[in-house]
Amino acid sequence: MELSNLPHEQRDLLDSLRDAIVAIDEERAKELAKNIVNEKIDPNFAIKHSIADAAVKVGEKFDSGEYFLPHLVMAGDLMDEVGAILGKNIPPEQIERKNVIVIGTVQADMHSVGKNLVATMLKSSGFQVHDMGVDVPSISFIEKAKELKADMIALSSLLTTTMPYQKEVIEDLKSMGLRDQFKVMVGGGPVTRQYAEEIGADGYGKDAIDALREAKKLLM
Amino acid sequence: MISLLEIAERTQTGEKVEEKTWDMDLFRTISGLVKKYGIEFPGEHCFINMDDDLGERAFEAAIELLEKVGIYCITTRRRVKLTREEILTAIHEAPTEILMGEGRDRRVFKQRSVEGREKLNVCPGHHTPYSEDLAPLVVRNFAQIPRTDFIEGFNFATVDGREIMGPPMEVYASRRQMEWMRDGVRKAGRPGLAIVYYPINTRAEDLICVMDPECGLRRTDGILLTLLPDLKMEQDMLCAAIVYEEYGAFKLSGSFSIAGGFCGGIEGAIVEGIAKPIACMIVYRDYIHYTGVEHVHMLNGRQILVPGTNWARSVVNQALNRFTHTICMRWVIPTSGPGTELNLLEGAMQSIEAPINGMNLYAPRHCRTTTNHGQTPLEAEWIIEVSDAVIEQGFDRQGGNELLRKLARRFEGEKPQDGFSITECYDLIHHKPKPDYEKVYLSAKRQLTEMGLTLV
Repeated sequence: MELSNLPHEQRDLLDSLRDAIVAIDEERAKELAKNIVNEKIDPNFAIKHSIADAAVKVGEKFDSGEYFLPHLVMAGDLMDEVGAILGKNIPPEQIERKNVIVIGTVQADMHSVGKNLVATMLKSSGFQVHDMGVDVPSISFIEKAKELKADMIALSSLLTTTMPYQKEVIEDLKSMGLRDQFKVMVGGGPVTRQYAEEIGADGYGKDAIDALREAKKLLM
Repeated sequence: MISLLEIAERTQTGEKVEEKTWDMDLFRTISGLVKKYGIEFPGEHCFINMDDDLGERAFEAAIELLEKVGIYCITTRRRVKLTREEILTAIHEAPTEILMGEGRDRRVFKQRSVEGREKLNVCPGHHTPYSEDLAPLVVRNFAQIPRTDFIEGFNFATVDGREIMGPPMEVYASRRQMEWMRDGVRKAGRPGLAIVYYPINTRAEDLICVMDPECGLRRTDGILLTLLPDLKMEQDMLCAAIVYEEYGAFKLSGSFSIAGGFCGGIEGAIVEGIAKPIACMIVYRDYIHYTGVEHVHMLNGRQILVPGTNWARSVVNQALNRFTHTICMRWVIPTSGPGTELNLLEGAMQSIEAPINGMNLYAPRHCRTTTNHGQTPLEAEWIIEVSDAVIEQGFDRQGGNELLRKLARRFEGEKPQDGFSITECYDLIHHKPKPDYEKVYLSAKRQLTEMGLTLV
């Protein structure tokens, strides 16, 4: 389906929903989502058009300094709510599966700012993100990734002395015979692309915006 | 001041709060306070705050923030509530001077005033990783800078050739850090120079294991115990604060806020930026702080300057110096790496601000520092030279603002540069920059002189 094939009113509805999400106008976004359901617009198309476009615009606003981390969180939550309204009539077999990412700061590291930024950027860009928090042992990452059938494990580290825990996750995946099941992306202040390659990570994010680009490259 | 035992108890008995709830409540509360107190960036021409009334309103907003939300303990996921009286008592009981070091190397590190005319106190280096082969030599070089008041430790990935991983190796590495620091300052001929332990990790055992008057942390030394962003504390840090309070070592903290995070934009970052060092005083007994506002896009090295960040930093430091006992430092964090002209000019910008807003100088280093690739002694000597010139030539807030505007124009169209490793651009044996870096230094000096800050 193409947007240009839709009647004007339906196109306007989809654009308005996108704009309401970008403006983080919760009430209007939910109302528009209900209208879209009532108009019987293909919900998968609506999700792709309105939510995915909104995600790009929200990311641009963060990049330009207009939006901050809490805006990303609010936009991400709103996208979930709108997605649930749009998706309630989609038969289970037609629900498009989102890419699932398990993210956290590695064991012994309590720093959350960079990880939070990456998690919210990923979530607000359409990934299903499970944030494990900080100080997360290798085995917890792996168990959660197995449980959720995740596509990627994203590991943050802000200390030179906690970077080896990123490697530990990759080594543990190998020893458990699971390395091929999950992409692994690493990042954090002292982490470099060279280090990511040395430890056998699939991807590296220099910052939140770079991490989003990398995740899309690896999973989409 | 409220006792650390009382704080410890509140971390066990305070209201349970989910971290996401805390984060979003913090954002909403700060946003409300920004509106209530009329905190607004006057515009891109403004690098230094001229509005004393605004500073006072920002201070009131910060006190109200602490009173409303308290501090979040991430270990127990509980809120540590504080009363207005407890907060105000802390900011008046905190010392304005810290004695540090021993013998002829003893120094007094002081709170400054806005547009103060005394020379700045200086911590010239580290807080960036070095490899163990370079470590003692690097320490010696930074300790050789005569204006050094104390010197901070650093992180490293390997010790005795082994990758550091897990508490036993961290404890071992922590003690080696102190050994290298002691060795370095002794070789610089300054055996009594105060050393600040940079935690290898933030577990209680890593923080406490260096306490050793013979060959580790002395009672006249210090330790870095920092609150996390968004007013979050850890019980392991509190353990260390309790131990070092009895031992006698001083404590310092990274008390800046991050614009773009849960505090919101630069205006919100002002409110958290004033509240955070006060919170650090109360929960960890930190009395020396690197303070102000950083922007997430500058910390990541995406942009050299984000409009309003210098101004926000200025509001925070002026307010802290006018209304509290807070010893403030400027952590000079250029987005370009060592060996580049941009690094020196960015460092100059931040060290012009420092004396005018009432800050001392702290450890200049590249914002994206990696092993042996964060700083050289030249940047430390440079920021001392620049800040001395600002004081000697009598720059006030107005004059400083004009100078910063000219310097900001220099960065237009520029992108952060990676720079060089310490051994590529600096001769650690002879304590001098390599010839190419010397030329870069002279060029930076010439440009600043042309802008109106005469550097001989």
